[in-house]
Amino acid sequence: MFVLSFLVRRLAQGALIVFLVTLLIFTLLRVVPGDPVRLMAGGMAPEALIEQIAKDMGLRDPILVQFGRYMGGVVRGDLGQSFVRPASGASTGGSSFGDSTRGERAEVLTLIGETLPMTLQLGGLAILFALVFSFLVGIPGGLAPGRWPDRVAFYISSIFISLPNFWLGIVLAMLLSVQLGWLPAIGYGGFAYTILPAIVLAVELAPVLIRTLTGSVAGVMMEPFIAVGNVRGLSRSRIIVAHALRNASVPLLNLIGIQISGLLGGVLVVEFIFDYPGLGLLTITAVLQRDFPLIQGIAIVTSAIFVFINIAVDLIATMIDPRLEY
Amino acid sequence: MTGTPLLKVRDLSVGLETGGGIRPIISGIGFDLAPREILGIIGASGAGKTVLSRALVNWIDPPLKVTSGSVIYKSQNILDLPAQKLRTLRREIAYVGANPAGALDPTLPVGQQIVEKLRAIAPEVPHDEARKRVIDLLGAVRIPSPQMRYHEYPSQFSGGMMQRALIVDALVSNPAFLVADNVTQPLDVTVAAQVLRLMRELTTRFDTAIVFISSSLPLVSDAADQILVLAEGRVVERQVTKALVATPQHPYTRELISQIPKIWTSEAVAIDPPAQSREPIISILDATRSYRVRKRGTFASYSTVRAVRNVTFDVFPGENFGIVGESGCGKSTLMRLLSRLERPDSGHVLCDGQDIARLSGKGLLKFRRDFQLVLQDPFNSLPPRTAIGAIIEEPLKTHGIARGEQLRDRVLSVMHEVGLPGALYDELPLGLSAGQRQRVNVARAMVLEPKVLIMDETLSSLDQTEQFKLLKLFEQLQVQHGLTYVYISHDLAMVRRVCNRVAVMYLGEVVEIADNSRLFFDPGHPYTKALLSAVPTLEERRYKPEDCLLEGEPPSPIDLPPGCSFTSRCPNAFGRCHQQSPVLTARGGKDLAACFLVENTLTHAAA
Amino acid sequence: MSVTETDIPVIPVPTQRGASVARRIWRIALASNEFRVGAIIFTVLVLAALLYPELSGIDPTKMSVATRLHAPPFMGDKWSWTAPLGTDQIGRDMLVRSLVGLRYSLFIGLSTVVLMLIIGCSLGTVAGYYGGRVDMVIMRLTDAQLSIPMIILAITVLGVSRPTIPAIILVLGLSSWPVYARVTRSVVMTERKREYVRAAEIYGASDFRIMVRLLAPLVLPPIIFVSALDVARMMIFESILGFIGLGVQPPTPTFGNIIADGRKYLLNAWWIATMPGVFLCLCLTSINLMGASLERARNRIYGGKS
Repeated sequence: MFVLSFLVRRLAQGALIVFLVTLLIFTLLRVVPGDPVRLMAGGMAPEALIEQIAKDMGLRDPILVQFGRYMGGVVRGDLGQSFVRPASGASTGGSSFGDSTRGERAEVLTLIGETLPMTLQLGGLAILFALVFSFLVGIPGGLAPGRWPDRVAFYISSIFISLPNFWLGIVLAMLLSVQLGWLPAIGYGGFAYTILPAIVLAVELAPVLIRTLTGSVAGVMMEPFIAVGNVRGLSRSRIIVAHALRNASVPLLNLIGIQISGLLGGVLVVEFIFDYPGLGLLTITAVLQRDFPLIQGIAIVTSAIFVFINIAVDLIATMIDPRLEY
Repeated sequence: MTGTPLLKVRDLSVGLETGGGIRPIISGIGFDLAPREILGIIGASGAGKTVLSRALVNWIDPPLKVTSGSVIYKSQNILDLPAQKLRTLRREIAYVGANPAGALDPTLPVGQQIVEKLRAIAPEVPHDEARKRVIDLLGAVRIPSPQMRYHEYPSQFSGGMMQRALIVDALVSNPAFLVADNVTQPLDVTVAAQVLRLMRELTTRFDTAIVFISSSLPLVSDAADQILVLAEGRVVERQVTKALVATPQHPYTRELISQIPKIWTSEAVAIDPPAQSREPIISILDATRSYRVRKRGTFASYSTVRAVRNVTFDVFPGENFGIVGESGCGKSTLMRLLSRLERPDSGHVLCDGQDIARLSGKGLLKFRRDFQLVLQDPFNSLPPRTAIGAIIEEPLKTHGIARGEQLRDRVLSVMHEVGLPGALYDELPLGLSAGQRQRVNVARAMVLEPKVLIMDETLSSLDQTEQFKLLKLFEQLQVQHGLTYVYISHDLAMVRRVCNRVAVMYLGEVVEIADNSRLFFDPGHPYTKALLSAVPTLEERRYKPEDCLLEGEPPSPIDLPPGCSFTSRCPNAFGRCHQQSPVLTARGGKDLAACFLVENTLTHAAA
Repeated sequence: MSVTETDIPVIPVPTQRGASVARRIWRIALASNEFRVGAIIFTVLVLAALLYPELSGIDPTKMSVATRLHAPPFMGDKWSWTAPLGTDQIGRDMLVRSLVGLRYSLFIGLSTVVLMLIIGCSLGTVAGYYGGRVDMVIMRLTDAQLSIPMIILAITVLGVSRPTIPAIILVLGLSSWPVYARVTRSVVMTERKREYVRAAEIYGASDFRIMVRLLAPLVLPPIIFVSALDVARMMIFESILGFIGLGVQPPTPTFGNIIADGRKYLLNAWWIATMPGVFLCLCLTSINLMGASLERARNRIYGGKS
């Protein structure tokens, strides 16, 4: 009963968020200067033809009308078709405007469907790496505030947070892949290709997790029930494992929820560097090609992922700490 | 006491390690505790009571340090035992503290945690049996429906309920002795009285000796066989309870006893009642205020908390009006209505004949000047990062009353008046004691030269000595500035001392309004009687708790049942009380009470 | 804090009479090694960025075939003392290019954070203070913004329009304020319930006065400390944009575009991509060390509560 009403409320809120995001991106794309038709048709195309194509595609209608039409499609599960990509796969160049009729262009949903699993695999592995590392560094730091494990955690997080992901990606690719040949780096040819990008993402994600974990563990250890636990006869290991970590995991979970969008941002860059065929790479090419429907579709999907993950996170947090009510 | 002592404390000293050495907190403490004895330890705050209570269970963490002495239980010094050995001893040594809300992990059910503790110290008890024992004990401490409560979380327990659960937690392993540190401090008097009664019963049943620590001598004297007086970290006196109260030896004890307010043995009202012919300065007319809260785990259904219900009374200029009641009775909401932080849903609050809900702009500012409030929590009520002078200046600046040197002079003179050294002007409130903070609060209110001061539990966080001094200050200010005070408090002894008239609130309603002496000597409402019976005092009790109060706690103010709201705890309740709610009825003079028994007496008298 | 603790004396933080809180935080932070290390590195880098390019007289955009692909001293076949970090594929001096890049990076980072602070703190304060509908609207807005990765938003706008410096600052600032709004809101919400705010209401202070005189001095310091760390974060984003080709456009050197260029020559001239990165990392680490030490100092004074 509780779970059901919670889900209904959160899904309604989530739908609102996704709607706002769509509206935001849609408006931005149309307000910001730069004509996609010009890019599709190529620089040589005559002005009249460009106008014609734009009219055919409905790009000259008022923004609200366009948005209404678009949302109508979204509600039916139709995210539209790419401006530039043919259904066969590789993106078309500007000169082929003559033959890129509507029917041949790729469905946005298909394009996202092909790349999303790759990105989820990368993101999942990155979170796993980041969590394991943060636990190893952050928990000892939180249990010994002011002493050396705390300082180690402090320095590690300060340095990690200062490593730009794209630069780290290049350096690691050069060292681990080119020089040492331990891991494959560029493109995708099996699970091993995920590891290096995931490490880069994990390094980006870990510092915040470490700081939060150190802080929340140290905070929980100051709670009266921890001190009293000892007097009540519980062993220190039991207090830490069963109570301190349990309580400290709630802020960590919330943080992961918030960090998801940051992670997706990182995915974008890392996939670009490693030429990893995921959603991030798709986004960058879509932006560079001014492929409006694809950008919109990706924005909807990423915000939906964000919404779902946050619902899941809050649900887990409520199960851990029944005082929380979302 | 007879026989071999259970616990021997010898030359125990604990110090605080600071950068420059060790500052002693308690020193040279020594006493014996016999089996089944209840030993009370009393002392002012800062005397080292909590440190001593923790030392007894070997809970001294840095920067505190045991500097000498021993705590010997069963010929072992528990201060020297390794952690492993000590843990097996924990089943015989139990501890209950003053912070029931924080004592258990908020994320796990209460019952489960007590079982966890029992099985940690007594692994041989099988899980099912442990569970059964916990449920039995929860029932034994009169927690209603223990089967269900077992699975509930700490946040679902009220303070009194949680303290009972912690007593279960302490007694579940059948300990030989129990250290109870200030257990009743966070509780309302009527609940505290119940908990105290319960502890006495249980120790007889379990043969447990208790070290009972409190800052309230009346409480300790109710509970303990012998009392040990602690002052500045040293034992200054130990006597059998009756003897200590009757013939205190040490000057400190004598002072302590002299400061305990008397309720029935002396005429304690500080000021003369003002002339009654004048118009009321505050009138509250049939005011009601409800809040809507979303029901837990529902989509869009709300329940109504009726915080203040149909409250009517007048306060006259120069009066000291008291509003008493326990937590959740609607005092704070009433304060918010009186000070126009909120407006009533229905009814009116009049100040000088004007409806304050309608004030705005200049009129509102004028009202704000005349009408000030001193709040309860000395730590929350001052902005932590503003210097004291600046805090007191703010009201003047807000009203544009003074500027420049003049501003500083006015602030300094108010500080002087409330007894704050001028040197504190540029200090942050960080290092101030609770008493000093309350003086800053009073200064901030007084600087506007108001006509009415509302004291919202202003003194409840201070110890007796500080309370005493501040009450003196209030009296002085009243004489000098002709103030009207409204005291909102749960402390009946304080109210007895300073208020001319008193209103008693229960679950959002005023159940009785009476003159000071009538209220204390001839209360008209059974709840007033119950409150009076639970007041900690050294005097002979006029009302016995056993006769005046049933077990249980006030019902939730959400969706109140029909009838009189006190029915569930009233020893005199009869049929009609369950269906109808009595209204305030005159019972001679201007005194009113909302009870059918009053009506009955009157009709009988008339007949 | 637990009530049981009342008997245990609180160890007072040594206070200097009249010293302002900010100054005390500053003093504690200054005493820590981490802060000193950070401050020294940062000062050296900033001084170098401000002075070296002009003093050395080297033009960061001047090509020279003769000095193509010089390695840093002793690290390759071709090198010279005049180019301590080597030169790139068209003979431009890497040190000067990196330092000029640092100027842009710092300027954009700082301006962005100021913009974020202004928008985020004002909206957050209003939301936390008034609650209710106002809060609802502002929070849904932040939810929506937080749910799309800011980098997607940024590259969308910059990719479709032209990436100029004001556009970059505006886009980064407008897409990252929600974090500040959230933090401010939550602190304001807790502080608002405290009794001193009630006391101020009762002596007649207006909402604006309470927000500005009472809440701002409490709420802003912790957030300004967080913002020091965000300067570093925004510098990273600026360099990411440059790397993708959506930052300040060449020939103006930025960390991003230098590294992007150098990536093509990674195998025979590793220094082009790595050296500016080392510079950037050094600068970011110094800022992060200072920011984190300030944060720690603040926590020491206020016992970890914001």
